[in-house]
Amino acid sequence: MVKQANYTMEKKDLQKFLGALASKMDVYAPVKTKGRYNFSRLKRGQEIELAGYSNTEFPPREILMPEGETLVRYARKTICEVFDERKKVLFGVRPCDVHGIIVLDKVMMGHGDMEMHYVERRKSTLIIALNCTEAGENCFCESMETDTLTGGFDILLTDAGERYHVEVGTPEGAKLVKGAGRIFTETLEKPVKPKPGCEKKLDMNGLPDMMKRAAKSKIWEDVAKRCLSCACCTFSCPTCFCFSLKHEPDMTDLSKGEIKREMDYCMLLRFSRVAGNMVFRQHRAERVKQFFYHKLVYGMENEGKSHCVGCGRCITECMAHIDITEEAAKVRKSYGR
Amino acid sequence: MVDEHTYKPNPAKVVKIIDETPDIKTFVLKFGKPADRKHFSFMPGQFGLFSLMGIGEAPFSMCSTPKDPEIKISVRNVGNVTNSMLTMKKGDLLGVRGPYGNGFPVDEIKGKDVIIVAGGIGFPPLASTVEYILQKRKDYGRIWVIYGVEHVNDIVYRSSASRWKRAKNLEMITTVEEKCKGWEGCVGLVTDPLKKLKINPANTVGLSCGPSVMLKFVSQAFQKLGIDDLDIHLSFERMMQCGIGKCGHCNIGDKYVCRDGPIFSLREIKRMQEEVW
Ligand SMILES: Cc1cc2nc3c(=O)[nH]c(=O)nc-3n(C[C@H](O)[C@H](O)[C@H](O)COP(=O)(O)OP(=O)(O)OC[C@H]3O[C@@H](n4cnc5c(N)ncnc54)[C@H](O)[C@@H]3O)c2cc1C
Ligand code: SF4
Ligand code: SF4
Ligand code: FES
Repeated sequence: MVKQANYTMEKKDLQKFLGALASKMDVYAPVKTKGRYNFSRLKRGQEIELAGYSNTEFPPREILMPEGETLVRYARKTICEVFDERKKVLFGVRPCDVHGIIVLDKVMMGHGDMEMHYVERRKSTLIIALNCTEAGENCFCESMETDTLTGGFDILLTDAGERYHVEVGTPEGAKLVKGAGRIFTETLEKPVKPKPGCEKKLDMNGLPDMMKRAAKSKIWEDVAKRCLSCACCTFSCPTCFCFSLKHEPDMTDLSKGEIKREMDYCMLLRFSRVAGNMVFRQHRAERVKQFFYHKLVYGMENEGKSHCVGCGRCITECMAHIDITEEAAKVRKSYGR
Repeated sequence: MVDEHTYKPNPAKVVKIIDETPDIKTFVLKFGKPADRKHFSFMPGQFGLFSLMGIGEAPFSMCSTPKDPEIKISVRNVGNVTNSMLTMKKGDLLGVRGPYGNGFPVDEIKGKDVIIVAGGIGFPPLASTVEYILQKRKDYGRIWVIYGVEHVNDIVYRSSASRWKRAKNLEMITTVEEKCKGWEGCVGLVTDPLKKLKINPANTVGLSCGPSVMLKFVSQAFQKLGIDDLDIHLSFERMMQCGIGKCGHCNIGDKYVCRDGPIFSLREIKRMQEEVW
């Protein structure tokens, strides 16, 4: 990465900056509704309120792989793929979620085949990340080394009292800063490394090997006894990318229609069901195991990066109080040596 | 301009339909453009995703060979998409994308004796393999084809099989599970004749495709015959949506059946991190 200059911005100018951006492209920012933040497209002049913003309820994956996205459109004689190339900005992405996006990039763009719909959306999306000063209740990013960023953002903001310290990560980020004129002032100051201070911990040291030894452990059956198979964990995880393709004919003219991508979740029984009602992960314990292993073991093997980024959402959303950090600790206790 | 090759199928026309059994038909498909056929160059054991617009898409293995100008698939009626496919008539269009997956190691096993064990609708990729081997007959040693079905009425590829039976150094054994009048061949499971083969294990490879439980017992029988884990290749079935390693449906542990498979050696299977059978 080319070394880019650092800047500062007065907090009161943030609104002006986002407002100007929103006149040029779609800006998605954390917006509070019913007490919870979620990424939402800013309307003209819409103010955002960041006091009390820890992280969004649902991950930014929602913008990069939107539910029900149209992939293919066909008619009697034509068939074409549809791509979203509109310029977008994702503002206020927390470091753990930037790491989550890096994981999605590796999956969707790696291994020889590109999922072009993801690629096009990703290419047209700028990321303005926002460092954390205070960890949320279930965060454990420090354990996962996802509390800091060395890349993956176009611009990175760090809270510095009345101001934001601004780091530029890419030439596109530099253009945004330049385009905003006097809002940004160049500085030689180095940003203070954020220390969110997570209370939760997940010791990753040697964990994947211990998990491998624990493949047939009772731990997974014990989780399964509590788990409701509701899929809220997978629904809220920033790195859960599984999906199904759905054909949707136009009911007024059956020769026309669309193929859509619907997110799908390995915690659901139907996920591995094939014709003849054969279900490969029939038992809940097998599904629980697939989720935990995908996050803590398989990601390391396939993408060289843990698919758990320590955002804590699966813990927050689980009605059965299942906690990935607690289960990992149980594995360490019984299978560590 | 974005490369439109993630999910867009190319149209192929049904040029011939063979009624194999009451619920299986073989479709001979011809691409609209020769370039599309060229793009779809495949090896035995690979599969494609075949779609009927508005209805859905499903994976099928080609039963024809790479050399054939047309591609052929055999479809068993088991659900939504397959049900509609079986109502197709000559001249209808089917969407095709692929080819996907790794295929059987047909070129790596040259010089060896080959045992092929197919169960039910697992036959298509192996039929392609048999034809491929017969096209290059001198390159391979002895060939056994063991094909098992539940009932006599389930037998497919009858005319190809009678041709294979006349081929040199090829033994074809068809076995039915349900005994019935008029059937003079073997009765029982595919593993029965398999266990009785006299082979030179050091120079023999075993290939198989069929239902999960069958694969389990076939792999045990291959091992009992003394075949090395690295020379046993099994084709797996899993739920598939994307075919390109993105949707996660076909995972067995950290492996993607669509991308890393569908064919895995027994060595790889033993190292998998999830129950396989
Ligand atoms: C690599 C591979 C090769 C195959 N080759 C053949 C073949 O040559 N001939 C043949 O008759 N069948 C084959 N199958 C099985 C065939 O794909 C299923 O029977 C078919 O998908 C059922 O679709 P359906 O819509 O009729 O069933 P439904 O139960 O209505 O399924 C709906 C959708 O689920 C998915 N699905 C359901 N069952 C399966 C399955 N068994 N495997 C993968 N996805 C599934 C498909 O996307 C399907 O469209 C193969 C499967 C795989 C994985
Ligand atoms: S959120 Fe909790 S209860 Fe629901 S599927 Fe996940 S682990 Fe099970
Ligand atoms: S597994 Fe849980 S804590 Fe880890 S990234 Fe997914 S939602 Fe966040
Ligand atoms: S079929 Fe989608 S990942 Fe294999």
